[in-house]
Amino acid sequence: MKKIFSIPLIRGIIWQVIGLLVGIGIVVGIRLAMGLPATGPYLVTEHAWVFGGFLGTLTFLAGHGVMDGWFKVWRGEIVSDHHEDKPGWEKYFGPSLDHKVIGIQYTVTGLIVMILGGTFALIFRTELAFEGMQFLQKAQYNTLMSMHGIVMIVVILLGIGGMMNYLVPLLIGAHDMAFPRLNSFAFWIVVPAAVWLLSSMALGGIETGWTGYPPLSANMKLVGQQMFFLAVFIVGWSSILGGLNLIATVVRMRAKGMIAFRMPIFVWASIATSLISLTATQLIGLSFQMVMFQRLFGMGFFDPNKGGNPVLFQHLFWFYSHPAVYVFILPGLGIVSELLPVFTRKPLFGYRWIAMSSLGIALVGFLVWAHHMFTSGMNEYLRVPFMYSTLLVAVPTGVKFFSWTATIWKGKIDNPVPTPMLFTVGAILVFLLGGLTGPPNATVSTDLHLHDTYWIVGHFHDTMFGGFMFPFFAALYYWFPKATGRRMNETLGKIHFWLMTPSFFVMSLGMMYIGLHGMRRRIADYDPAMNFQPMHLIITISGFLIALSVLVFFINLIITMRKGEVARGNVWNSRSPEWLVESPMPAHNYEHPFEVVGEPYDYGLSGSKYVEFAKHK
Amino acid sequence: MIHIVVVGILVIIMAILTYVGANSVGLMPVQASAQAVPIDWMWGWQVVAISFLFALIVVPIFYSLIVFRRKKGDTSDAEHIEGNTPLEITWTVIPLIIVVAFAYMGAYSLGESRRITDPNAMIIKVTARQFSWTFEYPEYGFVSNELHLPVWKQVVLKMEAVDVIHSFWVPEFRVKQDVVPGRVTEYRITPNLVGSYKVRCAELCGSNHADMEGAVIISTQADYDTWVAEQVELAAAATPEGRGKKLITANGCIGCHSVTPQPGVSAPSWFGLFGSQVLLADGSTVTADDAYITESILDPAAKEVEGYSPTIMKPFTLTPDEIADILAYIKSLK
Amino acid sequence: MSHTQDKASALKQGILIGVYLAVLTLLEFLVAVSFMSVMVLAVIALVKAALVAYYFMHIYKLNAEHEGSHDSYEYKTGTNRLGLWLFLLSDSFVFGGLLVSRFNLLGMERPELNQMLGLGVTCVLLLSSFFMNRAETSIAHGDTKGFLNGTLITIVLGVAFLVGVVGVEWRLAKLADVIVNKDVSGGIFYMMTGMHAFHVLTGVIFLFLVWRNGRKGYFTQEQHWGVEAAAVYWHFVDLVWIFFYPALYLIGKLIV
Repeated sequence: MKKIFSIPLIRGIIWQVIGLLVGIGIVVGIRLAMGLPATGPYLVTEHAWVFGGFLGTLTFLAGHGVMDGWFKVWRGEIVSDHHEDKPGWEKYFGPSLDHKVIGIQYTVTGLIVMILGGTFALIFRTELAFEGMQFLQKAQYNTLMSMHGIVMIVVILLGIGGMMNYLVPLLIGAHDMAFPRLNSFAFWIVVPAAVWLLSSMALGGIETGWTGYPPLSANMKLVGQQMFFLAVFIVGWSSILGGLNLIATVVRMRAKGMIAFRMPIFVWASIATSLISLTATQLIGLSFQMVMFQRLFGMGFFDPNKGGNPVLFQHLFWFYSHPAVYVFILPGLGIVSELLPVFTRKPLFGYRWIAMSSLGIALVGFLVWAHHMFTSGMNEYLRVPFMYSTLLVAVPTGVKFFSWTATIWKGKIDNPVPTPMLFTVGAILVFLLGGLTGPPNATVSTDLHLHDTYWIVGHFHDTMFGGFMFPFFAALYYWFPKATGRRMNETLGKIHFWLMTPSFFVMSLGMMYIGLHGMRRRIADYDPAMNFQPMHLIITISGFLIALSVLVFFINLIITMRKGEVARGNVWNSRSPEWLVESPMPAHNYEHPFEVVGEPYDYGLSGSKYVEFAKHK
Repeated sequence: MIHIVVVGILVIIMAILTYVGANSVGLMPVQASAQAVPIDWMWGWQVVAISFLFALIVVPIFYSLIVFRRKKGDTSDAEHIEGNTPLEITWTVIPLIIVVAFAYMGAYSLGESRRITDPNAMIIKVTARQFSWTFEYPEYGFVSNELHLPVWKQVVLKMEAVDVIHSFWVPEFRVKQDVVPGRVTEYRITPNLVGSYKVRCAELCGSNHADMEGAVIISTQADYDTWVAEQVELAAAATPEGRGKKLITANGCIGCHSVTPQPGVSAPSWFGLFGSQVLLADGSTVTADDAYITESILDPAAKEVEGYSPTIMKPFTLTPDEIADILAYIKSLK
Repeated sequence: MSHTQDKASALKQGILIGVYLAVLTLLEFLVAVSFMSVMVLAVIALVKAALVAYYFMHIYKLNAEHEGSHDSYEYKTGTNRLGLWLFLLSDSFVFGGLLVSRFNLLGMERPELNQMLGLGVTCVLLLSSFFMNRAETSIAHGDTKGFLNGTLITIVLGVAFLVGVVGVEWRLAKLADVIVNKDVSGGIFYMMTGMHAFHVLTGVIFLFLVWRNGRKGYFTQEQHWGVEAAAVYWHFVDLVWIFFYPALYLIGKLIV
């Protein structure tokens, strides 16, 4: 028993519950003392839940121990940033400072939460497979649909957090991130946030979709709505601090000789992503905070009866939430660019153009948010300029696609194709579909029809799968030997791919087809007269097949962990520095620092070298 | 070089196949408005671009995967091609030109779809509420829960929401416009195909968002005039039942409740309600008398009906006279 | 570069900048009460912000080259400095969002607030920034006593600002019918001042920790990143108020 409580994660969660109860107690006490009603439909009033949630987050962090180092600094003690973890699994449950441990914490948490988000989708997809309401109530449907959205967004943030934390210091030859303590903090605040997010299902649910538009989100008498806002607010901070850390790391900790245009392409993508998450994330936090305060204190920001403006919320919200989709996809596209040269045995075609296109997408991405609002009733003269800016994103995205195609052209790809390469090609094809279905939404006139339909649902599932899911799996298969010293099973990997890819195409094309014909987004049931049922059934079956393929992946993961093929060397014959040392990666990364002496992707050029390790420490 | 030629031919074939395939499955519902024409024209060009670009990327990738894959026994790296700046500039500049052209076409088609052909177009006031649509014809002074429009006449809908954001969308009209509380949004449309359609709320607006649909009927001028005459006559009938019927339409009650024996969308039917025994969610029963119905209008959550708990209806503020009219109407439903 | 100055001229420069800022604040107030031009107010605010960012926050230090190994205190301080500035960049998006919301919701109108109190708290915050600068300059030249005194005065002025805004201004506003849940002008006023006050509060706590550790001799002439961080953060909070003050008190006509 004592051993269980010594695990920081368990200790943190116990403290979180205590903090919640104390917070609720304080608010109830104050309200009773002031003669205000303290009870509500969910036992106590919203104020008590929100304050309890806030306090519980702090007590989690204090109880878990992730802030111990800072407490020491505040007391005037000197602490070291260097990580010393005991070997074994315990370090994964505690505040480790090692970027590799944190990267794995992010990734594994992401995978676990992915199971949840996927399960929500399967439940409401089953409901949609047939006309009429089967086994869910409409409110439950709305909650599951909203939870699927926001949980998957958290999964993506965790997934890119995992990839960037694990890979970037290795790729640039740093011994750790610039701020290891902050890094650990940024991961661990996600855990209490995830607890609040899930708790919202028990507190009435969320019925607004993940976008949480007021006045609906402000009027809904559900405490779950507040816990959802609180959770997203906290996750936002994780994203902000993660981005901050990454930029500082890349600017300050690169190996000798690694000038900007010799950085691995994934590092470029990470920088572009981090610039967005560092800055724009604040605005989703602010907009959600304003709705929270509108609910708690009656501040009328988005309440037309008090002179507020519901459309203002949409501006603030999308100022983050559109660039956010570039946060989601840019690291994935970076993975694609990173893996293609290794498997085609050719240099990355137009390295500088691809690097710049990531930055281009990120920067143009700040100027396109209002394309989500073409039908919103905002000032009409804004629509055409935002159409131009949005369509401009197609240009740097096109550069990526053409450069990838040119990289593959005449590439000597192994036969049979290794699993990471399969997922890379899958990512290109799926993202291509997502990219090509984008311009019709960016064009105002066609968007008037397409907006808020299942076409959009199909489109963004394409971009998210092509920009995140497929590259994420490619990265997992590719770097798994680096992290564990074992290689994942190829046969199971291929089953995973061949099950997932066709099912996914059927699913998203089916979604787009019925969307064009009038299927709206976010509806629990559809008009039988529209004859959508056969297609919905097909979409549901495809969804289950995708889930099955992910199950195969998890089985593969477990089998490999236990008795997979041992792989300690340069499995993929890569030029990248992390593969030139033995796997799994040593605790302090490179024993001998390296110096960059050549171009990163000079495959096929005999005698060329990317890095050279120092002889002495 | 031969590879490039083959790929070029394959790209063209693939692009044509994709385009023909996409169009043969029928991508859009019927056009029922003049505004749909420029929008579908734009869409048509987008399908052309999508088909071509799809082929342009997919064909070389698959060709390369098949033709250039590693031969048995070959362990060497591939050719060292670092890049090609003129090529990169080409595929930056040409897409840029295409993008600007498409944006221009987008603006042009948007302008076409917003063209005012009738400056004195009839105005209809639309009220959206959770979860129903109400249409007021100020010219004739009646309210309806169906939108009837004469074919080939431009009309302007002035739309307002009373609670949360809704969105007015008739898929066959193509155009969509949010209805936002606190402001009036405009929707200008010229129906051009006689038929029966539905307006479907396209912005998540609460639990029963999926059911927020209303009939849109486009008829010939003659049929439309007949309908208007009927409605005017109904509205003029100044009986308490008549006024009650008008009130329940204007307040959106029949968006959820029904006046036939079938249960409503998300609320109990009123048919035969008066004087009956109502089973409540807490297990007790109550007689549906004047007091009960009045309470249920002013404070719907006070007595929650079994099967409809938790109550989604919001309290209505009506004068005693108005409530008396509604009671008279409900009593008439037998 | 000014960070290589001797102590006397560094302190003199601080006084000079403090006087500039005070004059500009007064000018701002006079413009608002005499001929009210948003353009002029915006220019004055930008000039004030630039003075604070350059002379008090030493933004140019971001560009400094660092000799020595990646493990040296100097190099780490450079990294920390970048991290702090990135954080401030991020935080400024919150305040930017609030300013955008204020102008979107209220346009060229403003709630009725106590002008003298507004000018008063603005001066208090300005003065605190001045003393913060003195404290930092002192430790950078090895004067621990000057550093401790300066920090303590900054803390006291910070608390005075908090009392002025949250304790007095909020009460007066409520009496003047600027009520949190009545209409949106009340909402945005309490949101903006509240968010800023929250940052002042965290700054005061930060300064208190610095002061306490400073008394234990934690900071030296060569190694005082903690002081620099607290100072830069404090000046940032001041910089935000440079924009919030005209936005809340000066721009627009009164809501009647």
